[in-house]
Amino acid sequence: MNPPTTARVAWVTSFTFVVLALAAVGGLVVGPTSIGTSRVLGDALSHLGIGHSTMTHLQSVIVWQLRAPRMVLGLLAGAMLAVAGGTYQGVFRNPLADPYLLGVAAGAGLGATIAIVDVGGGLATPSWTPLLAFVGALIAVGVTWIIGGRGLRSNTSSLILAGVAVASLFTSAQTYLQQQGSVNSLARVYIWLLGSLASASWSSVLLVLPYVVVCTFVCLVAARALDVMSVGEEESRSLGLSVRRVRLVVIVAASLGTAAIVSAVGLIGFVGIVVPHVMRLLVGTSYRRILPLSVLAGAAFLVLADTIARTVMAPSELPLGVVTALVGAPVFVLILSLRGRVSM
Amino acid sequence: MSAISLRDLTVRVGGHDLVRHVSLDVTPGSWCTVIGPNGAGKTTLVEAVAGLRTLASGQVTLDGAVLSGMSARERARRVSLVPQHPVIPAGMSVHDYVALGRTAYHGVLRAPSSGDRAVVESVLERVELTSFRHRDVATLSGGERQRMVMGRALAQSTMVMVLDEPTTGLDLRHQMTMLEMLRREVDDCGLTVLATLHDLTLAGQFADRLVLLNQGEVVLEGPASDVVRSEELAKCYEMELRVVEINGNDVVVPVRDTRDGLASGSTD
Repeated sequence: MNPPTTARVAWVTSFTFVVLALAAVGGLVVGPTSIGTSRVLGDALSHLGIGHSTMTHLQSVIVWQLRAPRMVLGLLAGAMLAVAGGTYQGVFRNPLADPYLLGVAAGAGLGATIAIVDVGGGLATPSWTPLLAFVGALIAVGVTWIIGGRGLRSNTSSLILAGVAVASLFTSAQTYLQQQGSVNSLARVYIWLLGSLASASWSSVLLVLPYVVVCTFVCLVAARALDVMSVGEEESRSLGLSVRRVRLVVIVAASLGTAAIVSAVGLIGFVGIVVPHVMRLLVGTSYRRILPLSVLAGAAFLVLADTIARTVMAPSELPLGVVTALVGAPVFVLILSLRGRVSM
Repeated sequence: MSAISLRDLTVRVGGHDLVRHVSLDVTPGSWCTVIGPNGAGKTTLVEAVAGLRTLASGQVTLDGAVLSGMSARERARRVSLVPQHPVIPAGMSVHDYVALGRTAYHGVLRAPSSGDRAVVESVLERVELTSFRHRDVATLSGGERQRMVMGRALAQSTMVMVLDEPTTGLDLRHQMTMLEMLRREVDDCGLTVLATLHDLTLAGQFADRLVLLNQGEVVLEGPASDVVRSEELAKCYEMELRVVEINGNDVVVPVRDTRDGLASGSTD
C-alpha cells in the first residue's frame, strides 16, 4: 500500500470543497419554511450590489438571522472539533484521541450543569451556561495538566491518565448536581449534553470566532511538527524538534478552541475522532494533508448533520450528537471497508 | 580537535549509574565502535552522545562545542542518530521519511528548500533507495528499512553519526552491505562514526578503534586488532575467544567449553 498520489489528494480536496459549498448553501435554504435556492442566492448577491432580492422581509430574517448564524456556527464548530481531534491524535500518537481527551467535555458539562441547576442561585439566565461551561472546560484541562504534567518529561501516558481521572471526577460531580436539581433542569442538562446549534446567533458566532481562527491556525501550523513526531519523541528530538514546546503549544491551542466551541454548542461527539480518521484513510498519514482537509470536512459534516437534525422531524429537532453518529458511523465503516479492497 | 570528546561522563538512570566516568576521544573522519556484553551501558553511552540522556556529571563536546548547551536544532545539525529500534510510521513514503532528516535546517514552520530537496535526492541515491522513493515505509524489507533509517541520518548532514546496533535483525549479507555503506561515508565523506555492535568480528573489521565497555566503565580502548586480541575481552564476556585471521581480517570465534556439555559462557 503506497502513500496516496498527488492526483488522489487533489481529487479529495476538490470533492471536500464541493461538499462544503453544498452544505453551506443547504444550511441556508433547507428548513421548514420553503425558500428557494435561487431566492437565497439572489438575496446574497443583492447585498453585494448585484441584482435585486425577491425575498420578503420575513424570509430575509429567517435566512440571515436564524439559519445563517446557525450554519456559520456549525462550520466553526465542525472545523474546530475535527482539527483539534486530528491534532490530539498526532501529538499523543493515539488513534483513539479526541478533543475531549484531557477533560474538556467533563469540565464543560460540570460548568453547564452548575449554571442550569442554578447552584447557589443567580445563575439561571441563559448567558451563564456557556460562560461556566467554558470556565469548567479550562479548569478541567488545567487540573489535568497539573496532575499529568510530569508525563511531558517522559511520555504522554500520565497526561492521558490524568485526563481520565479528572473527567471521572468532574462527571461524578456533575451527576451529583443533576440528582439534586429539578426534573426540568435535568432535561435541560441532558439536552445540553447532546449538543445543539439551535441557540446560535451572530453574537455567539463572534464570541467563538477569534478562538477558532487562532487555535485552528496554530494546529495547522503545527502539522509539519506532528509529522516529525510520528517517529516518536526520542527520534523527533534527535531530528531537531523541541518536542515539549510543540506539545505544549498544540495541546493548549486544541483544548482552548474545543472549550470555546463546547461552551457555545454543547457536547458534540464523533466529529473530532472520525473526520480526521476518514481524511487519513483518503489522503494518507501526513498531518499537512489531514489537518487542512479535516477543517473543511469537519465544517461540512457538522452543517450537513445539523440540517438533517432540524428537518427530518420538523418542527422538533433531533439531537445533533445523535445525527453525527448516525450519519458518520456508516460513512466511516464504508470507507474502512473500501480501504480493505482499494489501495490508497 | 576531537570530533567527539567525552570527559568523565556519568549517566544515571533510576538511581543506577549505567555509564560511569567515561572519557573518550574520537578523531574526525574515523569509526569508533563500542563493544561489550549486554548491560555494559553501550546504548546509554551513545544516547548520551546523541543528546538524549541527561548527564549526572561530565561533559560531551562535538567539534569543541558543548552538547548540553545546544538547542535541539543545533544539536541535530551536529550529530545524527540511527536507533536500534526505529519507529517506522506506516503510511509515510520513503522520500518523506528521509526528508525528516532536514527538519533541523528548514524548521517546522517552513517547507524544505531546493537545497534540502537536493540533499534528500543525493542521500536516496547513496543508500540505493531512489526507486523506492514513493513506497510506504512499512512495506520495506529489514535491509531496505535500515538503509532508509541511515539515509535519514545522512540527510541531517552532520559530521558525527551515532548508531546503536545498526545491524539488528539483518541477515549476514545485509549486515555487510549496511556496514560497507557506512564505511564509504567515513572514508569518502569524512563522517565520524560512533557505533555499538554485538558482533565482535564485524566490529573489528569495520571500526578503526574499539572501546570495550563493561558495567558502565571503559575497560580497554585502542586499535580494533589490539582490542579483539586482548585478554580483557574474553574476561568481560566470561568465555574463551579465539581470533582467526582470514584475508587480513580478524574473525572472533567463541569457543564452546564441552567439558560439561555446556558453553563456557553459560556455566555461571
